[in-house]
This record gives sequence, C-alpha cells and structure tokens, in this order.
Amino acid sequence: MQRRTSIRVERGGIVSNLKVNIAGVEFKNPIITASGTFGFGREFNNFYPLSDLGGICTKGLTLMPRDGNPAPRIAETKSGIINSVGLQNPGIEHYLATDDKWLAEQDTVVIANIAGASLDDYIAMGEKINESNAQMVELNISCPNVKAGGMAFGVLPASVEQVTRAVKNVCKKPVITKLSPNVSCIADNAKAAQNGGADGISLINTLSAMAVNYKTRKPILFNNNGGLSGACVKPVALKMVWDCYNAVDIPIIGLGGITSYTDVLEFMICGARAVQVGTYNFTEPMGASQIAKDLENYVKEQDMDINDLVGSLILNK
Amino acid sequence: MRDIVCEILSNKEVGENIFEMVLLADRVDDIQGGQFVNIQLPNKEMLLRRPFCLCDFDEVNKTFTICYAVVGEGTKVLSGLAVGQQLKATLPLGNGFLLSGKYNKIMLIGGGMGSAVLPAIARRNKDVECVCYLGFANKGKVVLEEKLREVCSKVVVATDDGSYGESGFVTNIAKADLDSLGVDAIFCCGPEVMYRAIKKTFADVNIPIFVSLEQRMGCGIGACLVCNCKIEREGKQGYYRVCKDGPVFELKEVVL
Repeated sequence: MQRRTSIRVERGGIVSNLKVNIAGVEFKNPIITASGTFGFGREFNNFYPLSDLGGICTKGLTLMPRDGNPAPRIAETKSGIINSVGLQNPGIEHYLATDDKWLAEQDTVVIANIAGASLDDYIAMGEKINESNAQMVELNISCPNVKAGGMAFGVLPASVEQVTRAVKNVCKKPVITKLSPNVSCIADNAKAAQNGGADGISLINTLSAMAVNYKTRKPILFNNNGGLSGACVKPVALKMVWDCYNAVDIPIIGLGGITSYTDVLEFMICGARAVQVGTYNFTEPMGASQIAKDLENYVKEQDMDINDLVGSLILNK
Repeated sequence: MRDIVCEILSNKEVGENIFEMVLLADRVDDIQGGQFVNIQLPNKEMLLRRPFCLCDFDEVNKTFTICYAVVGEGTKVLSGLAVGQQLKATLPLGNGFLLSGKYNKIMLIGGGMGSAVLPAIARRNKDVECVCYLGFANKGKVVLEEKLREVCSKVVVATDDGSYGESGFVTNIAKADLDSLGVDAIFCCGPEVMYRAIKKTFADVNIPIFVSLEQRMGCGIGACLVCNCKIEREGKQGYYRVCKDGPVFELKEVVL
C-alpha cells in the first residue's frame, strides 16, 4: 500500500491533515464522543461548541421511551467506573421531534446509537432512523435479546451477523456495529459484523463488572452488575482493536479509556480510523474538545497526515 | 455553568470529622442557594468529580465554601489537602432554590450535613426572613451555627441525644413552632429518613415544602443519566436527574 505522505510528496509537499473518512462520511478530526456519556450534546454545548468535535454519538435510542434502572447506577473503582443506567432514553420519536434538528445544526457528524430488545425492534429502529438527520447509525448490540432467552445480541458471532444484516437491509445510512468485549474472540465477532454488511465497527463497549460493599456484603449497583469503563480498560481495548484490525477490512472506531491525544495516537496505531471519548467526559467536561485541539497541534508539529498512523503498529519479533 | 481552577484558601476541621473548605473562584455572583459544585480530586485514580453543595459565598472576595464530612476515600483525600492547592471545579450546577418575590418568610431545616445547604440560601435571599432549625446527632457534630446566625433571624439547634441545644428530633421541634412563626414555605435538607419523617409529621401543613436530594453522580451536568430520582408529576412517576432537574424538588412530588 502506498503511504499517503508519499502521495502528497508527489503532489508537492506535505500538508498536515486531521480529517478522517469512515464509510464515505468525512470527520474534521477523529474525535467522537461515546454514546451514553454525552446525552444529546446540549449539556456539553455549555462548555464548548460541538463543532470542535469530529462527531458525537447519541445516547442509545429505543423504539419506546425507557425508564432505565433504579439508583444507584454508578460505582467508582480504581481508574474506572461501573455503570448500569439501563438505557434510559426518551424514545426515538422524542429524539426526532426535539434533538435531531438541533444536533444537525452543530457542524459535527451525528451518529445515532440505536438499541433493541428483539430483532424486530432493531429492524423497526433501522427504518425509523432513516427519518433523522444523523449521518450514521451505531448498533448497540449489548442488549439482551428478550425473544431468544436473554443472551445479548453481541455475544455469538451468528447473532452479530444476523442483527447487522437485518438493520443493513432497511437502513439507508452507514451502519457501525458496536462490539462487546465480553466474548470469547472479538475478532470473530468483527468478521461476523463485516459479513452482515457493517460499514464499520466500534469497540470496545464496557466490560461486565461488579463493585461490592464489604460492610453490607451487597453489590453497590442496584442492578448488581454493570459495565466497566475509564482509563483502566485502555490496554484491553488497544489489544482488541489490534486483533480486529487484523481480522477485517472495514474501518474501526476505537474506544476505551481515552484521556489524552497520545491515547488517540495509540488507538490509531493499533488500527482505529477514529476514536470515541467516553468516561473522560465525566472527569473533564472540556476533555474531548481539549483532546481534539492537542491532536491538531501534534499533527501540525509533526506535519503528518493522521491517517498514516492507522494500523502502523510495529510488533516486536 | 463553567469549568474553572480554584485555589484552596482554608481547609479546617470544624466538627468531629467535619471540614469547611474555602476556595477562591473567578466569580461567585451567579451562585444560587441550593446549587452545587463538582470538584476534581488531585488523585487521578478517582475519576469522578465530587459534588458538594455550595454552602456559602463571599462576593467581595470571590470565594465559596463547602462543608463536608469525611465519609469515604474522596473526602479523606480532600480533608488532607493544603492551602494553596489548586482544584478544578465545575459550578454552579443544578437548579437552585429561588425565593425572592415568592416568599416573605421561610423555615430552613437542616439534618446533619444537610445543614450545609442552608447558609447560601439565606445569604442570596436577603429580602426574605429565614428562621432556621438544625438537627445533629450530638454536640461534636454541630457545625455552621454561627454562620447561620449571621443570615437568619432565628436559629434553633437540637441534638438527638440532648448533648447540645434542645433535645430530640429537629423535625418535631420545628413542627411545634411552625404555627407561631407565620412562614410561607419550608426548605429542608437532610437524609432521606428525615424526608420520610417530614412527610408524616408535616402532613397537615398547607405551605410548600422543598427538599434537596442527593445521589451518586457521574457527569454532574445532566448528560449521563446516572443520578436518577423518582418523581411523580401530573399523576405519572418517572426518573428525573438529581443534578440537572434538581437537586431541589417539592417534597410532595418526591417518591420516597
């Protein structure tokens, strides 16, 4: 493969570039905020213009409004948090009526994250989301399939492929399948998403986890268990992104514990074409914007095309 | 709301395991009583910011005060921080308790560390007369009495064991005085058990009663939907965000 820098040298000099392209959608920079950590963007718009970001991924949307789980929904662990919100959201109709248009005006790519409790739900959501202004769709397949005994759609490669294909058949927008790390071989699930027609994959979703209070002998979360995220999961995520990069040809969006522009560089070196910033939004309300700025400075300083990093990992012999 | 860097001007133990910290901010004129600040700890292992009610503020010196009990790892770290240390903080957050123009005289009730919400409410609403009832477990836990005497026309302190002030539960003492005071609203901050007691003891009271809720928080600004509380409005129960829809709610709509 010819390196982009050499192409640009042939055209007369290197010009630093931060833009990335995923399934035909151009992002001004590779920083996207992760679903469930950023609402629908309005709160963070108090701190910085959303146009600082390459994109934002909405809170997970379902056909009908969902109340979510009782409190407590969050527990802090060393360098991480465990959450169990239970997909509380106002439903797709409410989103289309109140947030969709506003988000479309923020000069950033909007990725609608959709979820369901059955294959029919996903198909209905895949159709419904065609009405939105979102440029892309991200499939949350970590939800339990209520019609198939409650195992999450994202566990077995066959169901990853099935749900991806079902949505691809009805959805006119590029579809990104978000992979769960709670599986035996994530590369197999990446291939399954590709076979199902996914235009890209994002990983990792949260790691299944529990926090316990030794005094009460009870789990801290009402729901007993939840999903671990934050800086502590980064090494797991990097390895999984690299494994998937070597298994599929479709673009990868990497996430898991990103708190700095150097983390972004590491994810891209392991094969991510873009990244998502999640838990760090809680620690630093300006965090995602700052990472985008730091990355821009680095790319200018190095006079490089950020795309040249993708998958450039040099393994030790 | 904004994200700023604050400097610790003082951090003193004012009761048994209870600290008052004064921080220098860029401005404090936008702080309403009942709002909170989300403070980042210098310890990077603790990812989440810690929410504290904005206990008091000083507009001349641009400072605000938080008052906290050491109950976990985060507050333990906070209690050990030295003067001059800089901390990131997001403020002011949440819906405050707006009184001016609505009420002439109000009753403030504080239960333990819940009392920390009260000084800022009284200071921000100088045209409203505030009478204050504070309840603590024992003498060692009594804090903020002097601060509240500065801004309230009356302050009654009670301890559960009678070791300081009046003896007994502050809710009962406040209820006994209520009719003679002529207040037109009540604001209460304390543990959930206190709200249950007030719902029962004040059941025949026809003036609005407001309470401040707390819950484990994530972002503190309304995006992550972690700090939920159950509220009943127009006959329908649903989850609301403590950090953005609250923390102040009318007691009658809080599902306990």
